[in-house]
Amino acid sequence: MDKEKEIVMTSRIRLARNLNNYKFPTKMTNEEAISIISDTNNALNGDSSNLNYKLTYMKDLSDVEKNVLIERHLISPALSENKEKGAFLLSPDKDTSIMINEEDHIRIQTLGYGMCLDECWDKANELDDVLEENLNFAFDRELGYITSCPTNIGTGMRASVMLHLPALSITNQIDKLMYAVSQLGVAVRGVYGEGTKSMGHLYQISNQGTLGASELKLIDKITQIVVQIIEKEKNTRALLKKNNKEELEDEIYRAYGLLTNARSMSTDEAMKLISFVKLGKEIGIIEKVQNKDLYDLMIKAQPNNILSIANGELSVKERDIKRAELIRNELAD
Amino acid sequence: MLCNECGKNDATVHVTHIINGKKTENHLCEDCAKKNQSLFNSSFSMENLFSAMLNNAFSGATYLPSKGCSTCGMTYDQFRNVGKFGCSDCIETFKPKLMPVIKNIQGYEIHQGKIPNRAGGDYKVQKEIEKLRNELKQMIDQEEYEKAAEIRDQIRDMESNM
Repeated sequence: MDKEKEIVMTSRIRLARNLNNYKFPTKMTNEEAISIISDTNNALNGDSSNLNYKLTYMKDLSDVEKNVLIERHLISPALSENKEKGAFLLSPDKDTSIMINEEDHIRIQTLGYGMCLDECWDKANELDDVLEENLNFAFDRELGYITSCPTNIGTGMRASVMLHLPALSITNQIDKLMYAVSQLGVAVRGVYGEGTKSMGHLYQISNQGTLGASELKLIDKITQIVVQIIEKEKNTRALLKKNNKEELEDEIYRAYGLLTNARSMSTDEAMKLISFVKLGKEIGIIEKVQNKDLYDLMIKAQPNNILSIANGELSVKERDIKRAELIRNELAD
Repeated sequence: MLCNECGKNDATVHVTHIINGKKTENHLCEDCAKKNQSLFNSSFSMENLFSAMLNNAFSGATYLPSKGCSTCGMTYDQFRNVGKFGCSDCIETFKPKLMPVIKNIQGYEIHQGKIPNRAGGDYKVQKEIEKLRNELKQMIDQEEYEKAAEIRDQIRDMESNM
């Protein structure tokens, strides 16, 4: 699989929809929640459909299983907490999920690798049409699609792009970047980790407003900003390679040395080191990892993924040992 | 600027709190900021911010039905606490007070995106006609009369089908 891309890891579109004939998640009863799940499932997987989405109820999943899905961004933490009423539908290729009874009745999420918001939108838009054939969506002529929280009203769409920005991070330019893009109605946040602190130099860029512009215009805005960020990251990489070649090579080879030899490793350390090796791979410093999917390795190094592979309970110490072992194996020739 | 906690290091973290209209500013160095985590602990989720805005918007003496939404029973007190609607009818119930707040957070107050076939109905067609009329005007301005005629016919077709 060739899913790993330079700089732009993934593109995502999320559409929030609610049904007219049911109370919203803050007010609905368990019975209503169950009929919403079956209505949505029937609308998508009805007799004439060959989409084959798999329905899973939150109550049927263990904590580890739920957390793995969160680490893979297929469900949200809010859905996983909704044990009684939550469910989700997952496409056979596992790139599209529909969360049911999260903050809104329905949240369609499509994912693609690299810069592909347009394709993700087309896919989400199509699914939205399929669902709408059988469901009555809450819609207001002035305010558009009605969502639980007014911050999502209108298009109900969040377009987001995950970027790997090691050069901008190590040269301390992320704060400036965040400030600049926030002026344009676009939000930047660390993907793993809290607030502006990011593990593995991964950042998510998404639209803040959802009302007053068409979906394509919102996507266009994000795309234009991302194109500029990519250029800044590339320029900074070139500058680092030109002016700080020895330090950079040292950092990257040290990272590689640790990843291929260490016997215990925390998530934080693994993410940082994989990020450096990924940078080295992309600027032609390290040859050995050319055929490795390092973004995939970042996901595999996440705590709950390690737990799910181990298939049992692990202490933090045991988990760090397992993680180091997994990384060594993945990076072996 | 020096840190106003230790007075030694450069302040790199700036926190502004506005509580009941009273503004306090803190300028801290990284070390002192770490020690004063509680300053940042107010969670900056959109819901919390939104709920705070609602509280301001609702603080003026404006009339709203005390019973709240007739479909789900959500009152505006509840709504401003949770920042979430209870059902699709809440929009109509709270609209008079809601619009300025929405304008405030979203920057706009009119939806320009997708219109669902079912819920949109005639409105969807109306919007499309509106769009075609703009195109028609453009074509006439550019003296593209053949294209203009095509669009005119299209508009007629759509209007007769409504």
